[in-house]
Amino acid sequence: MRIVNLLAVVDKEKCTGCRTCIRVCPTLAIKLENKKAEINNEQCVGCQNCEQRCPFDAIHMQDRQPFTIGVEVKDSDYDKIEEICKKAKFNPEQIICYCTGTRAEEVAQAIIEGAKTPEEITQRTGARSGCKVECIQPILRLLKAAGIEPEPPKGGWQWYGTTVTAWEIPESIRNKYSNVGFYFDEDLELLNRIASSPTSKSKKKDSDNK
Amino acid sequence: MREPIKPISPKKSQYGIDPALLKTRVSDLPGMTSLPLKELFPDLPDVIYPGDNGIESIKKATEKALDKVDMSFIKPEHSVNILASHHGFTLLGGEAYAEMIKTIKDVIERKTGCKNIRLRAGVGLRFRETEEYIKRFGLDEYFNGKAIGVAPVDEGIPIETEIGTLYGIKKVYDADWIVHAHNSDVREVHFHRQVDRAVKPFGMSYARIETRSTYHQNLGPRAANFTARAIFDSPFVQKKFAFACFLTALPNGISGVDADNNLYDLNERITKIGCRYYGKMMTLFGQIDECIAALDFPAPVVYVFSGGVIYANFVGANTDLYDLDNVPLPSYTWYTESFYGKDGKPLIEDIPPLNPAIKMCIHNYAWTGYPCAFFSEHIPTVIVGREQAELFNRDPQNINYAKHAVIAEDTEDAMNFAYRATGTKKVVIFDGAPGGLNVSEEMAEFLLKKAPEVSERVEEELLPKWLRQRGITI
Repeated sequence: MRIVNLLAVVDKEKCTGCRTCIRVCPTLAIKLENKKAEINNEQCVGCQNCEQRCPFDAIHMQDRQPFTIGVEVKDSDYDKIEEICKKAKFNPEQIICYCTGTRAEEVAQAIIEGAKTPEEITQRTGARSGCKVECIQPILRLLKAAGIEPEPPKGGWQWYGTTVTAWEIPESIRNKYSNVGFYFDEDLELLNRIASSPTSKSKKKDSDNK
Repeated sequence: MREPIKPISPKKSQYGIDPALLKTRVSDLPGMTSLPLKELFPDLPDVIYPGDNGIESIKKATEKALDKVDMSFIKPEHSVNILASHHGFTLLGGEAYAEMIKTIKDVIERKTGCKNIRLRAGVGLRFRETEEYIKRFGLDEYFNGKAIGVAPVDEGIPIETEIGTLYGIKKVYDADWIVHAHNSDVREVHFHRQVDRAVKPFGMSYARIETRSTYHQNLGPRAANFTARAIFDSPFVQKKFAFACFLTALPNGISGVDADNNLYDLNERITKIGCRYYGKMMTLFGQIDECIAALDFPAPVVYVFSGGVIYANFVGANTDLYDLDNVPLPSYTWYTESFYGKDGKPLIEDIPPLNPAIKMCIHNYAWTGYPCAFFSEHIPTVIVGREQAELFNRDPQNINYAKHAVIAEDTEDAMNFAYRATGTKKVVIFDGAPGGLNVSEEMAEFLLKKAPEVSERVEEELLPKWLRQRGITI
């Protein structure tokens, strides 16, 4: 869940139409109209990326009537949610966005409901609208687990692609660096334990069965 | 008891409240005193800064360190990017780091005749932070308009590494040569675990979001910093790397400047310093049985300093952050945070809790720009001043931080509430007091009593183990 309480506003006098804001907006809420940045208020989630990167200080954040974005995780979809998370090597309850507290199951739910890109996931869950830095890989991993491999926004700097995970580090690399403080195998074991640990739902199910 | 040490002054920044709103520093309250770190650990090396010779000592130390560095490959017609990070500007007010950077530029010019020298200053999660420092320390003028802040959402460049493609910030690498200007302060030891500390910025402040997300989400808590090594060792970066120049930071100040064409040699030296001296401070903090933690420093909640240790490390001081064998997961890292389930409990049983010695946190002054709701969810927190709480409410990284805290009108009320509610008079203040710690008298007494046995234990038992785990022999 993410409370949206800010809106980006462009100062048209200062805007030079340089497109930096367009390239960094995580929801593709900005376009150029008459050589000036134009923000789609409906799509803006108040993340501040445009305001923080505008080279001309032409964007400021304005208070807006707060509203909440987020998905409701449905019991009826939970088998599918678990399947996507398992394939992506996440526990469904694992937090994948530290700023918004969004969990893997919420991203999986958004995918089930039709999100096909990181931009659509941000719009539906709020993830990737806080720091805009740390959660791109989990989102791409969950999309990939659902069989979706999106293309980065054309000409944008929003994101470029997936990177290596603990499960893909070659054995030769793991062996080469294991004596200088990198604990690849032990961390992999930890991540696997987390991914397979019981969720609140499975604990409840077990207890109901008893 | 001694007078408190003057804390680091509040700074005007878009990430913090107006300094005029900060009416009282916690160290000004009755019952507070200071402890020089050399009194706790007499073996701490002497520092050159802060010191009698002021900032001039940094200039001289930088020049001396760079004397032995080979710059013969830099030609007058080449371009050089000096790479800096926000972190250095938070050490002792930032002036020492700015001076080292200016001196590096001067020495390169003098030794090579190269004039096209730029500053590229990376950030954490506050994308304009180094822009503020560039202005504050006159670096823009010093670099003839060629000083810029760079952020992880700026245009990227793919870097082929032995673990596949990772991504750097394009402007970091848009010169013939790069110079890595950093410091040995351990800071986020919960993340890097003092493994390749000197290399970390290549996977962080010089890197794009894809790489940073790999670090914090894809590899695991003790393998994370390999992203930095993978990038640094790539042919692309090796072709550009000229040398590194570091402030040698200790918990009590700056002891000198170290420079080397070989980053791993420099890394080994700072690993020994980090484990020995910061290891002692952190082990001492781990002895604290109960306390009130007061935040009072111009940096985000996690990065406020006391005795050279950041609050994020104090939150994990109930575990040995340096022990790679027995502590897979410190009490606080982003991996740890992500492993808490919907019931507010860890998903597996052996995840250590946040430091139970912290009975309450008084947030007198700290900045936004780093997700901190996890702390206020798990540690009773009092924010001083409605304006400060409101600032957090407007920060997309901290929309839930103030939800879990209470607000006090002023510092004195907040501390009185903390004393009554917790029943302890032991206070540790994270206000960056140079050369020492500002604490309550009760805490000073406690730490003085514990320090000798901590020092002995680190030297005899812990340090050899920590270095062995990192493949370093003494």
